[in-house]
Amino acid sequence: MPEDVLQGWLQALLNGVVSGSLLALPALGFSAIFAVLRFPNFAVGALATAGAYAAWVVNARLGLPVGAGVAAAFLVAALVGVLLEAAALERLGRGGALMKAIGSLAMAMVLENALRFAFGNDLQAFDLPLARDMLLGPVRIGPQQINNFLVAIAVMAALWAFLALTPLGRSMRAVADNPDLARLKGVNPRRIALITVAAGAGLCGVGGTLIGLDTAIDPLLGGRVLLSVFAAAVLGGLGSIPGAVAGAFVIGIAEEFTVLALSPSYRMAVGFVVILAVLTVRPAGLLGSRAA
Amino acid sequence: MTDVSRRHLLGGTVLAAGVLALPGLVRAQQDGPIKLGTLTPLTGSGGSYGPGMAEVVKKAAAEINQAGGVLGRPLSIISEDDQTNPEAGLRAARKLIDIDGVSAIIGTWASSVTTAVAPVCWQAGVLLATVSGADSITRLPHNGFIIRTQPNTSLQGRKFGEFALEVGAKTVAFMSPQTPFTDAQFAELTKVVTAAGGKTTSLIYDDKKTTFRTEVDQVLRGRPDAIVMGGYTTDTAVLIRDLYRANYRGKLLGFAYAVNRQLVEALPADVSEGIYTLSPSAAEGSGGYGRVAKLLGVDAPDTYACQVYDHLNLIALAMAAGGGATGAIVRDHLRKVAQGGGQPVNNAAEGLRMLAAGGKVDYDGASGPCDFTEIGDITDARFRYEQVQGGKITLLKIA
Repeated sequence: MPEDVLQGWLQALLNGVVSGSLLALPALGFSAIFAVLRFPNFAVGALATAGAYAAWVVNARLGLPVGAGVAAAFLVAALVGVLLEAAALERLGRGGALMKAIGSLAMAMVLENALRFAFGNDLQAFDLPLARDMLLGPVRIGPQQINNFLVAIAVMAALWAFLALTPLGRSMRAVADNPDLARLKGVNPRRIALITVAAGAGLCGVGGTLIGLDTAIDPLLGGRVLLSVFAAAVLGGLGSIPGAVAGAFVIGIAEEFTVLALSPSYRMAVGFVVILAVLTVRPAGLLGSRAA
Repeated sequence: MTDVSRRHLLGGTVLAAGVLALPGLVRAQQDGPIKLGTLTPLTGSGGSYGPGMAEVVKKAAAEINQAGGVLGRPLSIISEDDQTNPEAGLRAARKLIDIDGVSAIIGTWASSVTTAVAPVCWQAGVLLATVSGADSITRLPHNGFIIRTQPNTSLQGRKFGEFALEVGAKTVAFMSPQTPFTDAQFAELTKVVTAAGGKTTSLIYDDKKTTFRTEVDQVLRGRPDAIVMGGYTTDTAVLIRDLYRANYRGKLLGFAYAVNRQLVEALPADVSEGIYTLSPSAAEGSGGYGRVAKLLGVDAPDTYACQVYDHLNLIALAMAAGGGATGAIVRDHLRKVAQGGGQPVNNAAEGLRMLAAGGKVDYDGASGPCDFTEIGDITDARFRYEQVQGGKITLLKIA
């Protein structure tokens, strides 16, 4: 029996890592946007859904490979994110961060219903065979999970390289650190803000696509994970890029372990208890630096 | 002499007092048409069913009237709209009872509307015949004034258990999100399966999760040979995928409203292959069903139209059997015409003739056998059993 329990724990841990990697991309997008624009953009869920539908159109309707779908998801979600920012949210900026946050919730509803109007409420699935899981010693994992995990890791690595190594990435970090100083140095904050939104929204789109690959696509796909994404970003320290990744894995693993011990009705509660515990000890989040 | 006149006086007084004490509706029902109300959702979320329900009752009543009516009196049907809204339903019920003076109300559809309307009915002694499914409805203190033809959620759980045994399962797992009827369903399922020497386990999941891998692992540890899925379409799709990935090769059973065409189309054919679905069904192929189809001029009337057709017939027969047109008489005699042996009959006109000839009838309707428990639930109902075969939902049987 103890062996059984251990096996259950190992499997839950693995499942948690996989679902954490799915949460990580939208959480990264959310955190990046927060770092530069200083408001929580709750449209990330809907942007993830938009990306998933874009990928689905490319894959299932146009018959192109899933890789092309992931690229399309990034581009379409980025474009939609920038449009929302430039057309609506930017103007709300004068009302403060709260106005923008509320505006982003409204935009999420508009976007979600536009998708519903275009694609209907039905479930859609990618044109992919479903593979049985492989056994790796005591635990099992599916090829799709491994793929998703690798894609998520690759995208995170690309983002890190972009931020650390390119001049544009450095400008973004500069604006995030100190917008006034960055402006003095000749960085155009609006341009950087829009680029950040594009990158953040694109990440959400890819994240949504990975969720869609793992499950199925419907207009509520992103909305369902919004709270978990938000929890991951807060846990990691709002605005911290590595923090968002760490937070996503902690939330993912915590949610899977909940299933072993508690009624699933407490899943969300466990996530928030974890946040409470972490923020009590580290008010800035796991890896946050600005304990303002 | 004085004795007689006193007796006369007493008798006259009692009679007068009795007449005055009778509610207006009973006086109105002494002669002239027998008034019955339909309270169906002509608008709101039940709006696609309500109009057909009201129509079939009107037309079936016209048939009965053509054949001479009930107790020599014609039926008069008053149709009201409950708007699939408890508040609007309650107002309409009051109008039907207080102003029109109906002795029975037929057709409330949403459980919330039925729950709101029921107390007004039983307090006024008006019979309420409903198509709502929530278990709680027949548990209200209704004194027998509620009957329903929709299988309640417990009965649905029992059917799942019986069908799981039928396809050879011994260990049945139940996976469901939390719904108001989850517990009742699992309890009934367990009763049936354990009675046959099997065992059951249950796992309640959060339907907003993106994967159910850990949940599936938990359930598969009990090595079930059948899994009953109690969720809705979106979460059931994820669950089926994760069960497939986990190499589960046992039987899968689900509600037809969840394992529907769109779900099957969203899954690769080899993943959905063999899933069984259940749903309450009208008694397709029965004589009563054919009559409803003819009345409405459609090939496949929905189960609700069939149910209200049965309501009207049962009420008409109960009135004839009881020799009166009040709600209490319908309540007291409904089971005498619905069950317990007698000539099987599937429409009121024929049944009324048999009753007039001194016979006994057992009504088997368009929605099913129409036998009721003490609290007003049906004891049995037809279900549709279907299976996904080659990416298509294929009818196995209606039983």
